[in-house]
Amino acid sequence: MMETTTSLSFTKDGFEAFTASRDEPRWLTDLRHAAWKKYAELSWPARNDEEWIRTDIRQFKLDRYSLSLEPPKPETTATALLREGVELGGDCTSLDSLKIHSFVADRWAEKGVIFGGFDDVVRSHGDVIQPYLLRRAVNPNYDKFAALHAAFMTGGAILYVPRGVVVDEPFYALSALTDGGADFGHTLVILEDGAEATMLSETASEDTVGGGLHCGAIELILNPRAHLRYVNLQNWGSNVWHFAHQKAVVDRDASLQWTIAAMGAKLAKVNQHVSMIGEGANCQVNGVMFTEDKQHLSYHTLQHHQAPSCRSDFLYKAGLQDKSRTVWRGMIKVDPIAQRTDGYQRNDNLLLSTNARADSIPGLEIEADDVRCTHGSTSGRVDDELVFYARCRGYTRKEAIQMIVTGFFQKVFDRITIDSVRDALGMAIARRVREYE
Amino acid sequence: MSEFVQVAKVSDVTSAGKLILEVEDRMVVLLHINEQFFCIDDVCTHDGGPLGEGELCGYELACPRHGAKFDVRNGAALTMPATEATVVHEVKIEGEHLFVRINED
Repeated sequence: MMETTTSLSFTKDGFEAFTASRDEPRWLTDLRHAAWKKYAELSWPARNDEEWIRTDIRQFKLDRYSLSLEPPKPETTATALLREGVELGGDCTSLDSLKIHSFVADRWAEKGVIFGGFDDVVRSHGDVIQPYLLRRAVNPNYDKFAALHAAFMTGGAILYVPRGVVVDEPFYALSALTDGGADFGHTLVILEDGAEATMLSETASEDTVGGGLHCGAIELILNPRAHLRYVNLQNWGSNVWHFAHQKAVVDRDASLQWTIAAMGAKLAKVNQHVSMIGEGANCQVNGVMFTEDKQHLSYHTLQHHQAPSCRSDFLYKAGLQDKSRTVWRGMIKVDPIAQRTDGYQRNDNLLLSTNARADSIPGLEIEADDVRCTHGSTSGRVDDELVFYARCRGYTRKEAIQMIVTGFFQKVFDRITIDSVRDALGMAIARRVREYE
Repeated sequence: MSEFVQVAKVSDVTSAGKLILEVEDRMVVLLHINEQFFCIDDVCTHDGGPLGEGELCGYELACPRHGAKFDVRNGAALTMPATEATVVHEVKIEGEHLFVRINED
């Protein structure tokens, strides 16, 4: 009796079956083969690699996961936080990297906007996507996870906004996971000259304590004078392994506001880079992290100034409770040509328990002599005097701590210009705060 | 409190030797010193270094990264840069088999 394969493992046979099962342009198949070759050549990160020295992945077993080939369910039960009450210009949802549905409003499609699931758009608009996909931003040869992603990328969403088109409704993408599932989603946003758009991207598990694997990438390409607001919320189940490479390329006089929220996953290792490649590029990154239990979130940021008169401003705030841990390692790199750079980075950590730990490692690498670059980091516990003050006014200890936590994040919430995102993040964090003595 | 889990045979850990194991979602080091067995987290409390790859001298295990030393009998941090004890797990021997009970604290 013949057996029907319902999933693909991350082996040579699995890769061959994966590429054979896909009706894709030749250039993409070639890209996947090159990535698989690189994946086979590269070693897993060593414990003494600077990027991995604080992040132990010995318990990560790739062979426990596989990509689903079964037809997707018509709906997902994963809870979406970002789209509530928002009028959308487009919507795309996937489950275990398989598209469930997508739509783009006619009024935007008529103006040449392309939006949809990754797998559909690379087939229907390969000529538009090819010059960008894994060529301008994320480097598929960076490490073994980047190569693995490039070989198997599927799911996620692509947004393309033509020259001069200003979209005033957000696009929304949800990548969901079943318990034990795998997500290899790739998000690619391309704004042509003078285009403007907002995209909300969210990941979530159907089971809040569910496991699984995400090996993904985000690429944001801003051509001259483009303006993008991009939000991504990582809200996986508490046993998901999350490995991601995320990079934005910001050209002349373009501006990017990138809000990153990370609240889920068992272990997350994220490389987030922004390259400012044209004079006058501007980038603001707002990072919000909240961890609990034994979660481990590791963020490695790079703000790379490759042109003169660019501005970058990174603010990451993390609240930690239980025995959770965060690692934040930030770098401002200024090339010799990038005179009149204005670079700023800051990481603040609020430790809600004595067993939580935050490692904060800001850094500067400056090769120009006419720049202003500053960085800072703070880590501290909840101030008992503030708790006492609130309790004197009738609040319980838990309410007092919730207010203090909300206040701690307020500075970064104030920078988020999308009301629904600010409200969703504030509520999600407040719900998670536990009572501590 | 968690249960004892069978992790290895007595003969798997040579005298004055050590073995890195994954037990119930944790990486631990099992050590054999003077006919006794000990088990501690494979984590230096200074920066998360792999203690199991460090040098064992008597009851002292040194982290290979920065040289912090720990007493394997009680996990105590003996030298800088570590200041906090690492977690110790209970070990028992039944016949030829070694069992570890993970300390969840």
